Parts: sequence; C-alpha cells; structure tokens
Amino acid sequence: MIPWVEKYRPKNLKEVVGQFEAQKRIFDFVKNFSNQKKRAILVHGSSGTGKTSIVYALASELGYEIIELNASDFRNKYQIQEVIGRAIKQQSLFSKGKIMLIDEVDGITGTRDRGGLREILRLILETSYPIILIANDVWQAKLRPLRTKAQFIELKPIEKNHIIALLYKIAKKEKLKISLDALDAISIMSKGDARAAITDLQVLASTCQKKEITKKQVAELCSREKDDSIFNALRQIFKNKGNVHNVFNNVQNININDLFLWIDENLPLEYKGPDLVRAYDALSKADVFRGRIRRWQHWRFLVYIYALLTEGISNAKKESKQGFTSYKPPKRILKIWLVNQKQAKRKEQAEKIAKITHISKKQAYKDLPFLEIAFRNNIPITNL
Amino acid sequence: MLGMKAKIKDNKDNSIIWAEKYRPKEFDDVLGHSEIVKRAIAFVQEKNMPHLLFSGPAGSGKTTLALIIAKKFFGPSWKENFLELNASDERGIDVVRQKVKSFARTKAFNGPFKIIFLDESDALTKEAQQALRRTMEMFTGTCRFILSCNVSSKIIDPIQSRCSVFRFRLFDKKDVAKIVERISKQEKFKINDKATEGLYDISHGDLRRVINILQASASFSKNINENTIYEIIAQAKPANIKAILDLTIKGSFLDARNKLLDTMLNQGLSGIDIIKAIQKEIWNLDIKNEEKIKLIEKCGETEFRLVEGSDDFIQLEALLASFILAKK
Repeated sequence: MIPWVEKYRPKNLKEVVGQFEAQKRIFDFVKNFSNQKKRAILVHGSSGTGKTSIVYALASELGYEIIELNASDFRNKYQIQEVIGRAIKQQSLFSKGKIMLIDEVDGITGTRDRGGLREILRLILETSYPIILIANDVWQAKLRPLRTKAQFIELKPIEKNHIIALLYKIAKKEKLKISLDALDAISIMSKGDARAAITDLQVLASTCQKKEITKKQVAELCSREKDDSIFNALRQIFKNKGNVHNVFNNVQNININDLFLWIDENLPLEYKGPDLVRAYDALSKADVFRGRIRRWQHWRFLVYIYALLTEGISNAKKESKQGFTSYKPPKRILKIWLVNQKQAKRKEQAEKIAKITHISKKQAYKDLPFLEIAFRNNIPITNL
Repeated sequence: MLGMKAKIKDNKDNSIIWAEKYRPKEFDDVLGHSEIVKRAIAFVQEKNMPHLLFSGPAGSGKTTLALIIAKKFFGPSWKENFLELNASDERGIDVVRQKVKSFARTKAFNGPFKIIFLDESDALTKEAQQALRRTMEMFTGTCRFILSCNVSSKIIDPIQSRCSVFRFRLFDKKDVAKIVERISKQEKFKINDKATEGLYDISHGDLRRVINILQASASFSKNINENTIYEIIAQAKPANIKAILDLTIKGSFLDARNKLLDTMLNQGLSGIDIIKAIQKEIWNLDIKNEEKIKLIEKCGETEFRLVEGSDDFIQLEALLASFILAKK
C-alpha cells in the first residue's frame, strides 16, 4: 500500500494547499533566476508545511529537472561537489531547466559532512541554476553565513481550513465516509502539519469499519498516541516525596520544553495552597535556567533544571494528595495555535488600520475592540 | 497662513475612524502645547529644522504634529517626501536601515529635505539606535529625522544630543472636554458632563483613547451618559485582571490560570502587559498592606525574569500562585 502522503503529493502548484505568498516567491525565484541578486533561497518552516512538495510541484509544472541531495546522502565537500557542482556545469539534456535541491540543510553535521556547508556557500556564488535549500530550523549558528547569501522564505503552519479541504478531497477519492467534526478534529490535532493529518486519516481509514470515520475514533487515536512514560514520571514526582531525581531517564521522545508544558499543565491538579506556591516557585526557577541556557548557550544549566523539576517540585509539598489523578496533555500550544487561527483576520484588520491612522500594529490591535463596537463588529475596511 | 502655497486638501477627511478624522490638520487646531507649536511654525517659516525628538505619552499629539509639519513643509507633495516608520512594528534594524537609506538617498522633491518620522523609537534596541545614529549623520544633507518616544531616557545620549527635544504632556480635563464638545456637535450626539469626566478618568488624557471610546459609545446611543461609557469599557475588555486575582484568592487556581491564558491569547497581551495590570490591581485588593508590598516585590522579580527571557506563562502562573497565600 502506498502511503497517501506520497499518493496525494501535489503534482502542480494548484494542488498545493495554502502558502500562496511563499509559492509565488519561490516561483518567481526559479522563473526569473537570471535577475536574482541572491543566487539561492532557503525555504524553512516546521514539518508538513509543504517545503519539499512546493519545489517538486513547481519543477513538474515548469518541466524542470531536480537534482536532489537530502539527509540520506553523505554531504561532505566532495559529495556536494560531485553531485551539485557537476550538475551546475552541465546543460540539461531533456528538460527545460534544472533546480538544485538540498533538503534538510540544518541536518548537515559537523564531522561526517565536513566542509559541506562551506561548499554550498561557494556553489551559490558560481551557480547558473537556481539552488533551493530546505530546513526546519534556521536559527542554528552554523546556518548564519547563509543569511547574506540566500533569500529566506518561511512557510507558516497550514491553516486549519486548508487542511480540512485537503482531507475532504482525499476522503472523497478514497470513498470514505467521514463527518465534518471528525475532519475538524484531525486537522486540529495536526497543528498545521499536512503530512501528519494525511497519515492520521490513512491510519483511521485502515482501522475503521465500513469506511466510516467518526469523531469518537479520532479522539481515541489521539489518546492512544500519548506516551505512557511521561505519565509515570509525573506520578512519581507528584506522589513521592524526594528521591525522584532519575525519573526522566526513562522518558523518551520528549524534549525539555515539552516537560515544562506537561508539568505546568498538571501541577495544579495535584498541589494546593502553600504546596502549590512552593512548587510553582521551583518550576519558575527551572524556567529561569532555561532562559539562561538560551541566552548564554551554557548547557550545563540543564543539571539545575532537572534538579528543580524533579526534587524541587517533589519536595515542595507537605504531603501528597491521595488517590488517582488523571493527567492531561498540555493544552497551551494547541490553544495558541487555535487562537492564532481565529485572530489572523483581526490582525489583518489591525494592520490596515495601523497604516491609515499612523499608529503601530500593536496599538491598532489594542484599539480594535472599540472600533469593532463602533461598527457593530464589522469594520468596513474597504472604505478606509 | 505662513504664506503656504495651496491649502492642503486631505482626501482622508471623510475617514470613518474618528481618531483619524479629528486629527488636527493645521497648527492652529492643535490643542495645548503652544510653545512647541510656536517653534514648529518657526521651522516651517525658515524652511529649515534640526532633527527632532518628540517625547511624551501615547495620545499626546506627537504623530499629529509630525504630520502637520510634513504637510506644511512640502504642501501637496508631502507624501513623496515623508517616510513614516513604526519602530515597534519594524524592530529589525536591517529593515529600518534599508528603508531609511533607500528613502534618504534621493533628493527631496519640491522641498529643502525629506523627513523621516520614526515612531515609537524607544522600541529600538541599543544596537539599532547606534546604527541609526550613523545613518542620521550620513544623510543630514538630504534628510531630517523626527523621532518619537514615550520615555526619552530609553533613547541613547548621542541621538538625544543630535536632536532638539520636545516634551509632550497628556491633555488635561479642559482639553478633553473641548474635544468632546467639538466632536459631539459635528457628529450630532449629546453627552453629559459626568460622562466627559469619566472619559477623562479612564483615558488619563490619552486623546486617541478618548475618541475611540467616544466613537464606540456614540454607536451605542445618541445620548451618552457615564453608564454608556462604562458599559463600552466592559464590553471591549471583558475578562479583567481583577477577576483572575479574585479567583485565585478564593482558591480556584485552576480556573484563574485558564482565564489568564485565555485573556493573554484573546487580547494579544504580552507577559509584561499582564504584570503591569496585576501590579496596578494589587492596591485595590482586599488584603493586608504588608501582603500587598510582598506581592509587589514578587511582581518586580517576575518582570525582571521576563525581561531576561523566561517563559511568560510559567512565570505569571508562579506569580499568580503567590496570591493564594495573601491574607485578608
């Protein structure tokens, strides 16, 4: 069975969902490559936002050939010279043009891919074909030299409605019966990651009966995916008093930021009164160290973070709450994403108001509630 | 006036947003600040001016004066010669530098120099200000800067020393009453004195705020009294900080923290915004005075952590938790 993600990968730009602005910029870059000052672009964004898909869709639409290097290839200086360096010197035999695609540039590692990034930088200067780089995380220090050489194009998480539309199209082609609120639930769960959404849909389709998917099944899938080990770790910290400094050793697939979110979400379920105050004190101090790591890049502070999160919070209580507590996954990230979806339109309004009334976007956003009342919630922006 | 060429026609005269519609368009219309206006008129007459730094709170007329100066200097072609940037939206010095430079590079059209108005300059980082200082020097021949800021101490000395500093103050009760009367006549609604006073109390003399509230109120009723005003405020800012603090003190911490997150997200408030509000609200709480001062100190510590780059929400929750122990 082919993964649907591959089966339904967009074949042309029309099929790409959302990302119109970025699509246009990437298209312009490739189409008008001879006029580009910066000879490469770096397309970045979180996973499933369509970075690779857009490039492939674009190539097939223009009839271009793609020369690709991704993380599965060795990418040291010589490899890159061999594949990309040679390709930029040769004319393409069969197609109208070529695109050099280097996927996952943030994954080019120091030792095994020695000299890789430097070679890319060199090739950017001499290339006669468009070079497209792709990365998830562009804030790494090693990518800094690229800033001056390449245009950065960001892909935002895909809007919920676009994901719903995409899932609906696939469901129709696969002859699935799926309710709108189930589609809604899957797309919310995906947090703007189209690949995750399509994979979830396929998983649900393969396990459901009579090709019918309900919201309940989506909810089950969602709870199944949770990692049990984090629950255990939380339970030990919250229920035991001390002797818990090793609890996170067994927790896999969770990064430090998520740990903060999990503890933060569930702390008030277990602790009350002065215990809660002390526990939050420990949590907030751990967070201060997290900020210091970010600022000074001094990773040894991690030791203090873990100490405060485990022993600090565990010892904050006089005695632990009896009985079973059902822990909840953090809601904050999801909430932020949902609100952002909702606020996107208001932000747009604020931006327009800011422009014509000579104030900052921030200020316009603050003024918006009054204007909304004045115009009965509907500001006729077109008249502005 | 002043031998200006054609009287400037502003096509935004029929703007539907009152704060913009009633923005003064002539020096004569500017309320208060008579000394500042006098000097601005002199600049226009002499066809020359230094770099200016407007310092003062929001809604005190800084942008208004900058716009009038530009219009008087350049007449109908003011838009070609005037660049307006807002530092709080475009913090990145690269953007500022690029825009400023490409604008400043060419000669003014129909005027002695161009004017760059950099609003909310105190939002610029120190590094950005350093870069700006060099840019100001480089383009003195073709360009004048008008910087505006809330607090002039956040502007580095070298920039301050290159500017003539104008200090704006908030409008007083009389000014607010004058504006309210002017608008009520033109827009044909009635408003009683208590409501006008209420407007002043709520806005502390921030004129844009006054006018925004007024426009919302007038859409509500053509006969505005003080209740209309408070009703509008309550509608525009539904969840308030006091409710969150009260919930905490009553012992419903979970509800309080959920409401906190919702308030922050829905109203687009930053951690610092919330701390400011909490710190103001502490004085109104029904708790002992020595508790109040402890909490204020905790606010300070939290604010410091946020400035240092800690997580807004976790720090605010920790602060909120300390209200649990506050005793009556």
